[in-house]
Amino acid sequence: MNASQDISRVSFIVMREMRAPLMTILIVYALAILGMVFIPGIEVDGKTQYLSIFHAFYVMSYTATTIGFGEIPFAFSDAQRLWMIVCIYSGVVTWFYALGSIVHLFQNRFFLRAVEEWRFSKNVHRIVGPFYIVCGFGDTGSVLVRGMNDAGLRAIVIDQSEERIQALKLRNYKTAVPGLCANASIPRYLLEARVQDEMCKAVVCITSDEEANLKISAMVRLLNPKTGIITMSKVDDFEETLATLGGEVHIVDPFKTFARVLNASINNPAFYALNNWLVGDKGATLESYVRPPVGGWIICGYGRMGLEANRVLTKNGIKTAVIDPHSRRKEEEIDTYVIGHVNAKTLSQAGIYEAVGLLAADADDGHNLGALLNARCLNKNLFTIVRQNSHENEVAFSVANADMIMQPTLVTARKILLLLIAPLLKPFFRYLLAKEPGRKERLKQLLALLREKIGDQKPSLVTIDFTLEKSSAVIQALDAGEEVLLGHIISDPRNRNVELDLVPFVIQSCGKEVVLPPKDYKILEGDQLLFCGTATSKDLLKSSINSEYTLYYLRTGRYKPMGYFMQWYERRFSKA
Amino acid sequence: MNFEKVIFGFFIVLSLTLNVGFFLGEYDNAAHHSVFELFAVVIVNLIATGLKLGDRSQIGAILLATSLVADFELIAAALRWTFAVHIVGTGVTPDVMASIIALAGGALVANIISVVILVSETLMSRL
Repeated sequence: MNASQDISRVSFIVMREMRAPLMTILIVYALAILGMVFIPGIEVDGKTQYLSIFHAFYVMSYTATTIGFGEIPFAFSDAQRLWMIVCIYSGVVTWFYALGSIVHLFQNRFFLRAVEEWRFSKNVHRIVGPFYIVCGFGDTGSVLVRGMNDAGLRAIVIDQSEERIQALKLRNYKTAVPGLCANASIPRYLLEARVQDEMCKAVVCITSDEEANLKISAMVRLLNPKTGIITMSKVDDFEETLATLGGEVHIVDPFKTFARVLNASINNPAFYALNNWLVGDKGATLESYVRPPVGGWIICGYGRMGLEANRVLTKNGIKTAVIDPHSRRKEEEIDTYVIGHVNAKTLSQAGIYEAVGLLAADADDGHNLGALLNARCLNKNLFTIVRQNSHENEVAFSVANADMIMQPTLVTARKILLLLIAPLLKPFFRYLLAKEPGRKERLKQLLALLREKIGDQKPSLVTIDFTLEKSSAVIQALDAGEEVLLGHIISDPRNRNVELDLVPFVIQSCGKEVVLPPKDYKILEGDQLLFCGTATSKDLLKSSINSEYTLYYLRTGRYKPMGYFMQWYERRFSKA
Repeated sequence: MNFEKVIFGFFIVLSLTLNVGFFLGEYDNAAHHSVFELFAVVIVNLIATGLKLGDRSQIGAILLATSLVADFELIAAALRWTFAVHIVGTGVTPDVMASIIALAGGALVANIISVVILVSETLMSRL
């Protein structure tokens, strides 16, 4: 579906709706003008004056539109006035009829829809360079689009709810984010969002409807076999289907992600702190180690989150008790399973007095907060993890003072954002978490380094592509046969003996990853670098890899002559 | 220290200061404006332009453009002077002087822009 087709559809609607009123106006005008021309006017200097066609049209124009300039060029004769009466009544009525039709047309749902789609298509085609399609603009979508916008990625939003699209249009984004209110699983709308374009790098399916996500993913794969697909899914069956779509597919399951984070926090609190700090969790610092205690745990609500958390806890040898109104579904390793709502009775049945931790994992925020307060009454020393389902309840949760808040929408949004802006983070984390000797010490060193370089500033994860478009100076130097080392580009362009406030995480080169690359790493064309640094260091690095003069200084410590005169001078005298 | 920056900075500031010197005085009084000063401004400006040729950076392009503007206006002023004295033969009358100073004033603005860019670029990159 391209823009010209949309225009033709819109103009077709306009023409069809306006056909009758336009024809009526035409006929009424023609008759009125003819009458005016043939009816004799007053006599001036003994000659009977007739209106010319031009004057008749002029008089008719201001009369029918109720402007009424008067009788020109001479006062009318009574015969003319009689005809004018007819003209006034028929003309004015016809005009109102035509205006009414236009107003009616502008209120026509289908017309508005066609205009909306045409506008969307126009805005989408205005995007040059890579872009991403985000299907679903709920809590997750709005966090994700904000993050993408801050990182300079272009997004296109499709959401079924008119209200959400209106909300999108009111956001103060740095670059425009086109939005269309439509069902994204209908291929026509995906095509309008340029899904088949090679610049469409990925489609993110995060609608609240699991089935819709699956459908959109399948459609996208059929329409464009090359683009990436990132889908939120909480259901195992769907995840299996998604995994067989082929091509680049990432499945983001907020509960599995949370389970992984929970596992990390039990086994490796330093990693947990690093992860939270990198994703920009509120109040997270590199020092904020949160370590869930080992002992008896109570899980309130045994849905998907409860299930995943139970798996992690039992794997770590922690005894769990579950309270859920529904009867037990699967034979999992649960020591105590209490059927019923969370209250003092069920809590004591689950062993609240001996428990060390409580996980409120219900899909209802009220239940979770209730469980939290109830349990605290009975046991003050509990370590609490609470699930927050809706962003609107933010304030209530922040005063509830739980040790960990798990917000599925936020977890999903951050995970997807990291996949988009820092795809190399995954191999980096895999390396840090690998069960090999010395890894924990490595992690500690890394944290110390990050603390020294970035400290209290906001960390930003940046991916640099060593391509001609993204780092022209580096490629130029490489083409000239020069060596560019990692140590060169991470030096401060203001003084090359100082390093910028950033820590290189991973370099991907020819399909292989070099984790925590050394400073003498030789950069090759096509490499990808992931680093974490301050906003200033990011800007400085990006400018120095694009300026041949700065890069020359960083590489050699000398200044490259800029003008022809100095180049000549250098050649003539410096060698001698 | 970047030797090229010293040379370029020297010429660009010199051309600005000479330009100010020529510009000062009553705008239509030929006694207040020396032809040698105008000659010096033109030459120094041309040298500054020449030094900037060949720079491929963005800032270099802007500096070159402002330099070219100053050259253009100063050469126009010099031609006006030459025409009045040697070709038309009226001499430097107040109206001729006024138009020469108008052109030199325009060149002065271009030179000020050059210096501002030079200083801010230096501050930005070598703080």
